[in-house]
Amino acid sequence: MAKAYRLIFDENLCIGCQACNVACRLENDVPEEVYRLQVHVTTQGVFPHLGMHFERRSCVMCDEPPCVSVCPTGASFQSKDGLVHIHESQCITCKYCILACPYHARFINPLKNVVEKCTFCFDSRLSKALDPACVSVCTTEALRFGDVSQENSTVAMLSRKETLLFPKAHLGTKPKVCFIPARKGVKV
Amino acid sequence: MSPMWGSTAQYEVIHWSWAIAVYLFLAGISAGSIIVALLVKWNRHERSNSSIWDAMIKSGTLVAPVSILAGLFLLVADLGRPLSFYWLLIRFNPLSVMSLGVLFLLIYTPIVLVFTLLVFERTIVKYTWLSPLGSFIEWVKSLHSYAKTIEYFLMAAALCVGTYTGFLLSALYAIPLWNSPVLPIVFLTSSISSGIAVNILIGLVFFKSTINTESIKYLLVLDLRVIMTELPLLGIFFVGLLYGGGEVSSMAKAALSHGGLALVFWLGVIGIGLLLPLATVILALRSHVYRVGYILTNATAVLLGVLLLRYYIIYAGQIYLG
Repeated sequence: MAKAYRLIFDENLCIGCQACNVACRLENDVPEEVYRLQVHVTTQGVFPHLGMHFERRSCVMCDEPPCVSVCPTGASFQSKDGLVHIHESQCITCKYCILACPYHARFINPLKNVVEKCTFCFDSRLSKALDPACVSVCTTEALRFGDVSQENSTVAMLSRKETLLFPKAHLGTKPKVCFIPARKGVKV
Repeated sequence: MSPMWGSTAQYEVIHWSWAIAVYLFLAGISAGSIIVALLVKWNRHERSNSSIWDAMIKSGTLVAPVSILAGLFLLVADLGRPLSFYWLLIRFNPLSVMSLGVLFLLIYTPIVLVFTLLVFERTIVKYTWLSPLGSFIEWVKSLHSYAKTIEYFLMAAALCVGTYTGFLLSALYAIPLWNSPVLPIVFLTSSISSGIAVNILIGLVFFKSTINTESIKYLLVLDLRVIMTELPLLGIFFVGLLYGGGEVSSMAKAALSHGGLALVFWLGVIGIGLLLPLATVILALRSHVYRVGYILTNATAVLLGVLLLRYYIIYAGQIYLG
Protein backbone atom coordinates (compact mmCIF):
# COMPACT_ATOMS: atom_id res chain seq x y z
CA MET A 1 0.00 0.00 0.00
CA ALA A 2 1.20 3.51 -0.77
CA LYS A 3 2.53 5.42 2.20
CA ALA A 4 1.11 8.69 3.44
CA TYR A 5 4.21 10.29 4.89
CA ARG A 6 3.95 13.25 7.17
CA LEU A 7 6.60 15.31 8.92
CA ILE A 8 5.39 17.38 11.85
CA PHE A 9 7.48 20.26 13.17
CA ASP A 10 6.45 21.42 16.62
CA GLU A 11 7.38 25.08 17.02
CA ASN A 12 6.81 24.79 20.77
CA LEU A 13 9.54 22.19 21.17
CA CYS A 14 12.15 23.61 18.78
CA ILE A 15 15.09 25.34 20.46
CA GLY A 16 16.84 26.41 17.25
CA CYS A 17 19.92 24.24 17.81
CA GLN A 18 20.32 23.53 14.04
CA ALA A 19 21.22 19.90 14.71
CA CYS A 20 18.75 18.99 11.93
CA ASN A 21 20.48 21.40 9.57
CA VAL A 22 23.91 19.91 10.32
CA ALA A 23 22.67 16.32 10.13
CA CYS A 24 21.12 17.09 6.72
CA ARG A 25 24.41 18.50 5.51
CA LEU A 26 26.39 15.46 6.61
CA GLU A 27 23.89 12.93 5.34
CA ASN A 28 23.44 14.50 1.91
CA ASP A 29 26.80 16.21 1.22
CA VAL A 30 25.14 19.60 0.85
CA PRO A 31 27.67 22.24 -0.32
CA GLU A 32 28.53 24.95 2.15
CA GLU A 33 26.70 27.92 0.65
CA VAL A 34 23.29 26.24 0.15
CA TYR A 35 20.74 24.55 2.40
CA ARG A 36 18.27 21.72 1.92
CA LEU A 37 17.01 22.45 5.37
CA GLN A 38 17.47 25.25 7.84
CA VAL A 39 15.57 26.59 10.82
CA HIS A 40 15.18 30.33 10.64
CA VAL A 41 15.24 31.91 14.07
CA THR A 42 13.70 35.33 14.66
CA THR A 43 12.99 37.42 17.74
CA GLN A 44 9.47 38.76 18.03
CA GLY A 45 7.84 41.33 20.24
CA VAL A 46 9.06 44.36 22.14
CA PHE A 47 11.35 44.16 25.19
CA PRO A 48 10.66 42.87 27.79
CA HIS A 49 7.90 40.84 26.09
CA LEU A 50 10.10 38.94 23.71
CA GLY A 51 9.59 35.60 22.09
CA MET A 52 11.51 33.40 19.74
CA HIS A 53 10.09 32.10 16.52
CA PHE A 54 11.41 29.02 14.75
CA GLU A 55 10.57 28.32 11.16
CA ARG A 56 11.63 25.21 9.29
CA ARG A 57 12.62 25.99 5.70
CA SER A 58 12.79 22.96 3.44
CA CYS A 59 10.89 21.14 0.74
CA VAL A 60 7.41 20.42 2.09
CA MET A 61 6.80 17.46 -0.26
CA CYS A 62 3.54 18.62 -1.82
CA ASP A 63 0.90 16.11 -2.84
CA GLU A 64 0.16 18.50 -5.73
CA PRO A 65 3.67 19.68 -6.55
CA PRO A 66 3.96 22.65 -8.95
CA CYS A 67 7.63 21.76 -9.53
CA VAL A 68 6.64 18.45 -11.15
CA SER A 69 4.02 19.78 -13.54
CA VAL A 70 6.31 22.50 -14.92
CA CYS A 71 9.32 20.22 -15.53
CA PRO A 72 9.74 19.85 -19.31
CA THR A 73 11.82 16.65 -19.15
CA GLY A 74 10.15 14.74 -16.34
CA ALA A 75 13.34 14.96 -14.27
CA SER A 76 11.27 16.34 -11.43
CA PHE A 77 8.83 13.56 -10.59
CA GLN A 78 6.56 12.19 -7.91
CA SER A 79 6.95 8.66 -6.63
CA LYS A 80 4.15 6.22 -5.77
CA ASP A 81 4.39 7.32 -2.17
CA GLY A 82 3.83 10.91 -3.22
CA LEU A 83 7.42 11.96 -2.58
CA VAL A 84 8.92 14.47 -5.01
CA HIS A 85 12.35 13.56 -6.36
CA ILE A 86 14.75 14.67 -9.09
CA HIS A 87 16.38 12.40 -11.69
CA GLU A 88 19.80 13.98 -11.73
CA SER A 89 20.73 12.71 -15.18
CA GLN A 90 17.60 14.10 -16.83
CA CYS A 91 17.78 17.53 -15.22
CA ILE A 92 18.91 20.16 -17.70
CA THR A 93 18.98 22.86 -14.98
CA CYS A 94 16.50 25.11 -16.77
CA LYS A 95 15.55 26.38 -13.29
CA TYR A 96 11.83 26.43 -14.12
CA CYS A 97 11.02 24.26 -11.07
CA ILE A 98 13.02 26.54 -8.76
CA LEU A 99 10.87 29.46 -9.87
CA ALA A 100 7.66 27.42 -9.66
CA CYS A 101 8.19 26.38 -6.03
CA PRO A 102 6.19 28.66 -3.68
CA TYR A 103 8.35 27.48 -0.75
CA HIS A 104 11.66 28.35 -2.44
CA ALA A 105 12.89 24.93 -1.44
CA ARG A 106 14.97 24.22 -4.52
CA PHE A 107 18.44 25.42 -5.34
CA ILE A 108 21.31 24.67 -7.67
CA ASN A 109 24.02 22.48 -6.23
CA PRO A 110 27.03 24.60 -7.21
CA LEU A 111 29.34 21.56 -7.38
CA LYS A 112 27.16 19.36 -9.59
CA ASN A 113 25.21 22.12 -11.34
CA VAL A 114 21.90 20.32 -10.90
CA VAL A 115 18.74 21.25 -9.03
CA GLU A 116 18.50 19.76 -5.56
CA LYS A 117 16.22 19.78 -2.55
CA CYS A 118 15.21 17.74 0.46
CA THR A 119 14.35 14.11 -0.35
CA PHE A 120 13.38 13.01 3.17
CA CYS A 121 16.77 11.24 2.89
CA PHE A 122 15.07 8.71 0.63
CA ASP A 123 18.08 6.91 -0.85
CA SER A 124 20.25 6.68 2.22
CA ARG A 125 17.67 6.26 4.98
CA LEU A 126 13.95 6.25 4.18
CA SER A 127 14.20 3.39 1.65
CA LYS A 128 15.82 1.38 4.49
CA ALA A 129 12.89 2.20 6.79
CA LEU A 130 14.96 4.78 8.73
CA ASP A 131 13.67 8.24 9.63
CA PRO A 132 15.16 11.22 7.76
CA ALA A 133 18.45 12.41 9.30
CA CYS A 134 16.92 15.64 10.66
CA VAL A 135 14.24 13.71 12.54
CA SER A 136 16.67 11.16 13.92
CA VAL A 137 18.90 13.82 15.52
CA CYS A 138 16.27 16.26 16.77
CA THR A 139 17.22 16.87 20.38
CA THR A 140 13.77 17.84 21.63
CA GLU A 141 11.58 15.60 19.46
CA ALA A 142 10.24 18.71 17.76
CA LEU A 143 10.40 16.75 14.51
CA ARG A 144 8.17 13.69 14.09
CA PHE A 145 7.98 11.60 10.99
CA GLY A 146 5.89 8.65 9.89
CA ASP A 147 3.01 7.19 7.95
CA VAL A 148 -0.16 9.03 8.84
CA SER A 149 -2.33 6.25 7.38
CA GLN A 150 -1.12 3.94 10.16
CA GLU A 151 -3.43 4.73 13.02
CA ASN A 152 -0.91 3.96 15.76
CA SER A 153 1.95 5.98 14.33
CA THR A 154 3.19 8.97 16.30
CA VAL A 155 2.31 11.36 13.50
CA ALA A 156 -1.24 9.98 13.23
CA MET A 157 -1.76 10.37 16.96
CA LEU A 158 -0.25 13.85 16.96
CA SER A 159 -2.42 14.81 13.98
CA ARG A 160 -5.56 13.77 15.87
CA LYS A 161 -4.53 15.67 18.98
CA GLU A 162 -2.96 18.89 17.72
CA THR A 163 -3.94 21.74 15.47
CA LEU A 164 -1.76 21.40 12.40
CA LEU A 165 -0.87 24.24 10.08
CA PHE A 166 0.11 23.51 6.50
CA PRO A 167 2.38 26.17 4.97
CA LYS A 168 0.69 28.25 2.25
CA ALA A 169 -2.28 25.88 2.39
CA HIS A 170 -4.36 28.30 0.30
CA LEU A 171 -2.28 27.38 -2.76
CA GLY A 172 -3.69 23.86 -2.75
CA THR A 173 -0.28 22.20 -2.87
CA LYS A 174 -1.15 19.88 0.07
CA PRO A 175 2.23 19.73 1.82
CA LYS A 176 3.36 16.62 3.75
CA VAL A 177 5.39 18.84 6.08
CA CYS A 178 3.25 20.71 8.58
CA PHE A 179 3.76 22.45 11.87
CA ILE A 180 2.20 22.85 15.27
CA PRO A 181 2.15 26.63 15.78
CA ALA A 182 3.63 28.23 18.87
CA ARG A 183 1.02 28.46 21.60
CA LYS A 184 2.72 31.28 23.45
CA GLY A 185 2.09 34.69 21.96
CA VAL A 186 4.16 37.85 22.34
CA LYS A 187 3.13 41.47 22.53
CA VAL A 188 3.93 43.00 19.20
CA MET B 1 10.60 40.67 13.97
CA SER B 2 14.35 40.56 13.68
CA PRO B 3 16.28 37.67 12.18
CA MET B 4 18.79 35.94 14.49
CA TRP B 5 19.85 32.91 12.53
CA GLY B 6 19.34 31.71 8.99
CA SER B 7 20.68 32.47 5.56
CA THR B 8 18.40 33.91 2.91
CA ALA B 9 21.10 34.12 0.22
CA GLN B 10 19.80 31.15 -1.73
CA TYR B 11 16.30 32.66 -1.98
CA GLU B 12 17.63 35.86 -3.53
CA VAL B 13 19.34 34.32 -6.54
CA ILE B 14 18.10 35.55 -9.93
CA HIS B 15 17.66 32.22 -11.68
CA TRP B 16 16.45 33.57 -14.99
CA SER B 17 18.82 36.34 -15.94
CA TRP B 18 19.15 38.84 -18.78
CA ALA B 19 19.69 35.95 -21.22
CA ILE B 20 16.09 34.82 -20.75
CA ALA B 21 14.85 38.42 -21.10
CA VAL B 22 16.75 38.73 -24.39
CA TYR B 23 15.40 35.33 -25.50
CA LEU B 24 11.83 36.44 -24.80
CA PHE B 25 12.57 39.61 -26.77
CA LEU B 26 14.05 37.68 -29.72
CA ALA B 27 11.26 35.09 -29.79
CA GLY B 28 8.76 37.96 -29.70
CA ILE B 29 10.53 39.78 -32.53
CA SER B 30 10.65 36.61 -34.60
CA ALA B 31 6.96 35.83 -34.15
CA GLY B 32 5.95 39.48 -34.46
CA SER B 33 7.95 40.18 -37.60
CA ILE B 34 6.59 37.11 -39.39
CA ILE B 35 3.01 37.87 -38.30
CA VAL B 36 3.36 41.42 -39.62
CA ALA B 37 5.05 40.22 -42.83
CA LEU B 38 2.21 37.78 -43.47
CA LEU B 39 -0.48 40.36 -42.71
CA VAL B 40 1.20 42.80 -45.11
CA LYS B 41 1.55 40.07 -47.72
CA TRP B 42 -2.12 39.11 -47.46
CA ASN B 43 -3.55 42.60 -47.29
CA ARG B 44 -1.16 45.13 -48.78
CA HIS B 45 0.99 43.38 -51.28
CA GLU B 46 1.13 44.97 -54.69
CA ARG B 47 3.08 43.55 -57.54
CA SER B 48 5.70 46.25 -57.35
CA ASN B 49 9.06 45.10 -56.05
CA SER B 50 10.21 48.37 -54.60
CA SER B 51 7.33 49.29 -52.31
CA ILE B 52 7.75 49.52 -48.55
CA TRP B 53 5.29 46.63 -48.27
CA ASP B 54 7.60 44.38 -50.22
CA ALA B 55 10.52 45.54 -48.08
CA MET B 56 8.54 44.75 -44.92
CA ILE B 57 7.79 41.23 -46.14
CA LYS B 58 11.42 40.64 -47.03
CA SER B 59 12.56 42.08 -43.72
CA GLY B 60 10.12 39.90 -41.76
CA THR B 61 11.15 36.74 -43.51
CA LEU B 62 14.80 37.56 -42.88
CA VAL B 63 14.50 38.74 -39.28
CA ALA B 64 12.27 35.86 -38.13
CA PRO B 65 14.70 32.95 -38.70
CA VAL B 66 17.78 34.90 -37.60
CA SER B 67 16.23 36.10 -34.34
CA ILE B 68 14.62 32.76 -33.43
CA LEU B 69 17.90 30.91 -34.03
CA ALA B 70 19.84 33.47 -31.99
CA GLY B 71 17.18 33.20 -29.27
CA LEU B 72 17.31 29.42 -29.21
CA PHE B 73 21.09 29.53 -28.94
CA LEU B 74 20.83 31.89 -25.94
CA LEU B 75 18.16 29.68 -24.38
CA VAL B 76 20.29 26.55 -24.57
CA ALA B 77 23.44 28.41 -23.50
CA ASP B 78 21.63 29.69 -20.40
CA LEU B 79 20.77 26.17 -19.20
CA GLY B 80 22.84 25.04 -16.23
CA ARG B 81 23.78 21.99 -18.32
CA PRO B 82 23.58 23.11 -21.94
CA LEU B 83 24.82 19.81 -23.35
CA SER B 84 21.93 17.89 -21.84
CA PHE B 85 19.36 20.00 -23.69
CA TYR B 86 18.46 16.96 -25.81
CA TRP B 87 16.23 15.76 -22.97
CA LEU B 88 13.88 18.55 -24.04
CA LEU B 89 13.54 16.85 -27.41
CA ILE B 90 13.03 13.26 -26.27
CA ARG B 91 10.71 13.96 -23.34
CA PHE B 92 7.38 15.74 -23.47
CA ASN B 93 5.24 16.98 -20.62
CA PRO B 94 1.95 18.43 -21.88
CA LEU B 95 1.42 20.15 -18.52
CA SER B 96 4.65 22.13 -18.79
CA VAL B 97 4.46 25.36 -20.77
CA MET B 98 8.19 25.02 -21.42
CA SER B 99 7.63 21.63 -23.01
CA LEU B 100 4.77 23.03 -25.12
CA GLY B 101 7.08 25.89 -26.10
CA VAL B 102 9.68 23.40 -27.32
CA LEU B 103 6.95 21.73 -29.39
CA PHE B 104 5.85 25.08 -30.89
CA LEU B 105 9.45 26.03 -31.65
CA LEU B 106 10.11 22.66 -33.29
CA ILE B 107 7.16 23.28 -35.60
CA TYR B 108 7.73 27.01 -36.07
CA THR B 109 11.47 27.14 -36.80
CA PRO B 110 11.53 24.78 -39.84
CA ILE B 111 8.42 26.42 -41.36
CA VAL B 112 10.05 29.84 -40.97
CA LEU B 113 13.21 28.57 -42.68
CA VAL B 114 11.23 27.08 -45.59
CA PHE B 115 9.19 30.25 -45.93
CA THR B 116 12.35 32.37 -45.97
CA LEU B 117 13.85 30.17 -48.69
CA LEU B 118 10.62 30.45 -50.69
CA VAL B 119 10.65 34.25 -50.50
CA PHE B 120 14.37 34.60 -51.25
CA GLU B 121 14.55 31.65 -53.64
CA ARG B 122 15.56 33.79 -56.65
CA THR B 123 18.27 35.56 -54.65
CA ILE B 124 19.66 32.27 -53.37
CA VAL B 125 19.87 30.74 -56.84
CA LYS B 126 22.07 33.66 -57.90
CA TYR B 127 24.90 32.74 -55.56
CA THR B 128 27.11 29.93 -56.78
CA TRP B 129 28.57 29.15 -53.36
CA LEU B 130 25.11 28.03 -52.33
CA SER B 131 24.97 25.52 -55.19
CA PRO B 132 25.67 22.50 -52.95
CA LEU B 133 22.22 23.24 -51.54
CA GLY B 134 20.82 22.87 -55.06
CA SER B 135 18.70 19.80 -54.49
CA PHE B 136 17.35 21.27 -51.27
CA ILE B 137 16.38 24.47 -53.05
CA GLU B 138 14.74 22.39 -55.79
CA TRP B 139 12.71 20.69 -53.07
CA VAL B 140 11.73 24.03 -51.57
CA LYS B 141 10.70 25.24 -55.03
CA SER B 142 8.43 22.24 -55.38
CA LEU B 143 6.60 23.53 -52.31
CA HIS B 144 5.57 26.67 -54.16
CA SER B 145 2.12 25.28 -54.88
CA TYR B 146 1.56 24.89 -51.13
CA ALA B 147 2.73 28.43 -50.38
CA LYS B 148 -0.63 29.59 -49.05
CA THR B 149 -1.03 26.57 -46.76
CA ILE B 150 2.50 27.07 -45.45
CA GLU B 151 1.64 30.70 -44.73
CA TYR B 152 -1.43 29.73 -42.72
CA PHE B 153 0.54 27.19 -40.69
CA LEU B 154 3.27 29.74 -40.19
CA MET B 155 0.79 32.31 -38.90
CA ALA B 156 -0.66 29.80 -36.41
CA ALA B 157 2.80 28.70 -35.25
CA ALA B 158 3.97 32.32 -34.89
CA LEU B 159 0.91 33.16 -32.77
CA CYS B 160 1.72 30.16 -30.54
CA VAL B 161 5.37 31.21 -30.17
CA GLY B 162 4.43 34.83 -29.48
CA THR B 163 1.93 33.84 -26.81
CA TYR B 164 3.64 30.92 -25.09
CA THR B 165 6.42 33.15 -23.74
CA GLY B 166 3.74 34.93 -21.71
CA PHE B 167 2.17 31.70 -20.48
CA LEU B 168 5.65 30.43 -19.60
CA LEU B 169 5.78 33.12 -16.91
CA SER B 170 2.10 33.40 -16.01
CA ALA B 171 1.89 29.65 -15.25
CA LEU B 172 3.91 30.10 -12.06
CA TYR B 173 1.68 30.97 -9.13
CA ALA B 174 4.76 31.18 -6.91
CA ILE B 175 5.64 34.49 -8.58
CA PRO B 176 2.93 37.09 -7.98
CA LEU B 177 4.05 39.55 -10.68
CA TRP B 178 4.04 36.87 -13.40
CA ASN B 179 0.89 35.01 -12.39
CA SER B 180 -1.46 37.28 -14.36
CA PRO B 181 -3.79 36.16 -17.14
CA VAL B 182 -3.10 39.45 -18.96
CA LEU B 183 0.63 38.79 -19.33
CA PRO B 184 0.42 36.59 -22.47
CA ILE B 185 -1.70 39.25 -24.21
CA VAL B 186 0.75 41.99 -23.16
CA PHE B 187 3.62 39.91 -24.55
CA LEU B 188 1.85 39.09 -27.82
CA THR B 189 0.89 42.73 -28.40
CA SER B 190 4.35 44.02 -27.64
CA SER B 191 5.91 41.34 -29.83
CA ILE B 192 3.69 42.43 -32.73
CA SER B 193 4.70 46.03 -32.16
CA SER B 194 8.36 45.00 -32.12
CA GLY B 195 7.66 43.08 -35.34
CA ILE B 196 6.30 46.21 -37.01
CA ALA B 197 9.25 48.25 -35.76
CA VAL B 198 11.92 45.81 -36.86
CA ASN B 199 10.32 45.25 -40.27
CA ILE B 200 10.20 48.99 -40.91
CA LEU B 201 13.74 49.47 -39.67
CA ILE B 202 15.35 46.61 -41.61
CA GLY B 203 13.08 47.23 -44.60
CA LEU B 204 14.04 50.90 -44.90
CA VAL B 205 17.73 50.41 -44.21
CA PHE B 206 18.53 47.24 -46.16
CA PHE B 207 15.90 46.84 -48.87
CA LYS B 208 16.13 50.42 -50.21
CA SER B 209 12.46 50.63 -50.89
CA THR B 210 10.85 53.71 -52.33
CA ILE B 211 8.74 55.27 -49.68
CA ASN B 212 6.13 57.95 -50.18
CA THR B 213 4.04 60.21 -47.97
CA GLU B 214 1.16 57.80 -48.20
CA SER B 215 3.06 54.83 -46.81
CA ILE B 216 4.79 56.94 -44.13
CA LYS B 217 1.41 58.12 -42.99
CA TYR B 218 0.09 54.57 -42.95
CA LEU B 219 3.06 53.33 -40.90
CA LEU B 220 2.76 56.20 -38.42
CA VAL B 221 -0.94 55.48 -37.94
CA LEU B 222 -0.09 51.80 -37.48
CA ASP B 223 2.42 52.79 -34.77
CA LEU B 224 -0.24 54.91 -33.10
CA ARG B 225 -2.71 52.05 -33.04
CA VAL B 226 -0.25 49.59 -31.54
CA ILE B 227 0.87 52.03 -28.84
CA MET B 228 -2.72 52.86 -28.00
CA THR B 229 -3.36 49.13 -27.52
CA GLU B 230 -0.23 48.46 -25.53
CA LEU B 231 -0.55 51.35 -23.06
CA PRO B 232 -4.01 50.38 -21.76
CA LEU B 233 -3.01 46.69 -21.71
CA LEU B 234 -0.03 47.49 -19.47
CA GLY B 235 -2.39 49.61 -17.38
CA ILE B 236 -4.84 46.71 -17.04
CA PHE B 237 -1.94 44.38 -16.15
CA PHE B 238 -0.78 46.53 -13.25
CA VAL B 239 -4.23 47.56 -12.06
CA GLY B 240 -5.07 43.84 -11.94
CA LEU B 241 -2.02 43.22 -9.78
CA LEU B 242 -2.66 46.23 -7.54
CA TYR B 243 -6.22 45.04 -6.93
CA GLY B 244 -4.96 41.49 -6.37
CA GLY B 245 -4.78 41.97 -2.60
CA GLY B 246 -2.26 40.68 -0.09
CA GLU B 247 1.28 40.19 -1.27
CA VAL B 248 0.33 40.60 -4.94
CA SER B 249 -0.64 44.23 -4.28
CA SER B 250 2.39 45.00 -2.16
CA MET B 251 4.79 43.36 -4.61
CA ALA B 252 3.28 45.28 -7.54
CA LYS B 253 3.53 48.53 -5.58
CA ALA B 254 7.16 47.84 -4.73
CA ALA B 255 8.02 46.91 -8.31
CA LEU B 256 6.53 50.15 -9.57
CA SER B 257 8.11 52.43 -6.99
CA HIS B 258 11.44 51.04 -5.74
CA GLY B 259 14.93 51.46 -7.04
CA GLY B 260 16.47 51.23 -10.48
CA LEU B 261 14.00 48.64 -11.69
CA ALA B 262 11.07 51.04 -11.31
CA LEU B 263 13.15 53.53 -13.27
CA VAL B 264 13.61 50.96 -16.04
CA PHE B 265 9.84 50.66 -16.21
CA TRP B 266 8.83 54.31 -16.06
CA LEU B 267 11.70 55.74 -18.08
CA GLY B 268 12.45 52.84 -20.43
CA VAL B 269 9.22 50.95 -21.02
CA ILE B 270 6.72 53.79 -20.66
CA GLY B 271 8.88 56.81 -21.52
CA ILE B 272 11.12 55.68 -24.36
CA GLY B 273 9.10 52.69 -25.53
CA LEU B 274 5.61 54.16 -25.59
CA LEU B 275 5.31 57.90 -24.84
CA LEU B 276 8.20 59.04 -27.05
CA PRO B 277 6.86 57.27 -30.17
CA LEU B 278 3.35 58.39 -29.26
CA ALA B 279 4.44 62.03 -29.09
CA THR B 280 6.37 61.78 -32.38
CA VAL B 281 3.44 60.17 -34.19
CA ILE B 282 0.95 62.73 -32.92
CA LEU B 283 3.25 65.63 -33.78
CA ALA B 284 3.93 64.26 -37.25
CA LEU B 285 0.30 63.59 -38.02
CA ARG B 286 -0.83 66.97 -36.68
CA SER B 287 1.68 69.08 -38.55
CA HIS B 288 1.58 66.83 -41.63
CA VAL B 289 5.34 66.42 -41.66
CA TYR B 290 6.17 62.96 -42.95
CA ARG B 291 9.88 62.37 -42.56
CA VAL B 292 11.55 58.99 -42.75
CA GLY B 293 13.63 60.03 -39.72
CA TYR B 294 10.51 60.02 -37.53
CA ILE B 295 9.78 56.46 -38.50
CA LEU B 296 13.33 55.30 -37.86
CA THR B 297 13.44 57.01 -34.42
CA ASN B 298 10.09 55.50 -33.53
CA ALA B 299 11.05 52.02 -34.59
CA THR B 300 14.26 52.12 -32.56
CA ALA B 301 12.47 53.49 -29.49
CA VAL B 302 9.74 50.86 -29.73
CA LEU B 303 12.31 48.04 -29.98
CA LEU B 304 14.21 49.35 -26.96
CA GLY B 305 10.96 49.64 -25.02
CA VAL B 306 9.93 46.06 -25.83
CA LEU B 307 13.35 44.72 -24.75
CA LEU B 308 13.19 46.69 -21.50
CA LEU B 309 9.65 45.43 -20.82
CA ARG B 310 10.88 41.82 -20.99
CA TYR B 311 13.88 42.70 -18.83
CA TYR B 312 11.72 44.49 -16.28
CA ILE B 313 9.13 41.70 -16.01
CA ILE B 314 11.78 38.96 -15.71
CA TYR B 315 13.72 40.74 -12.95
CA ALA B 316 10.80 42.31 -11.06
CA GLY B 317 9.10 38.90 -10.83
CA GLN B 318 12.14 37.29 -9.25
CA ILE B 319 13.05 40.17 -6.97
CA TYR B 320 9.55 40.85 -5.59
CA LEU B 321 8.63 37.32 -4.59
CA GLY B 322 6.57 38.13 -1.51
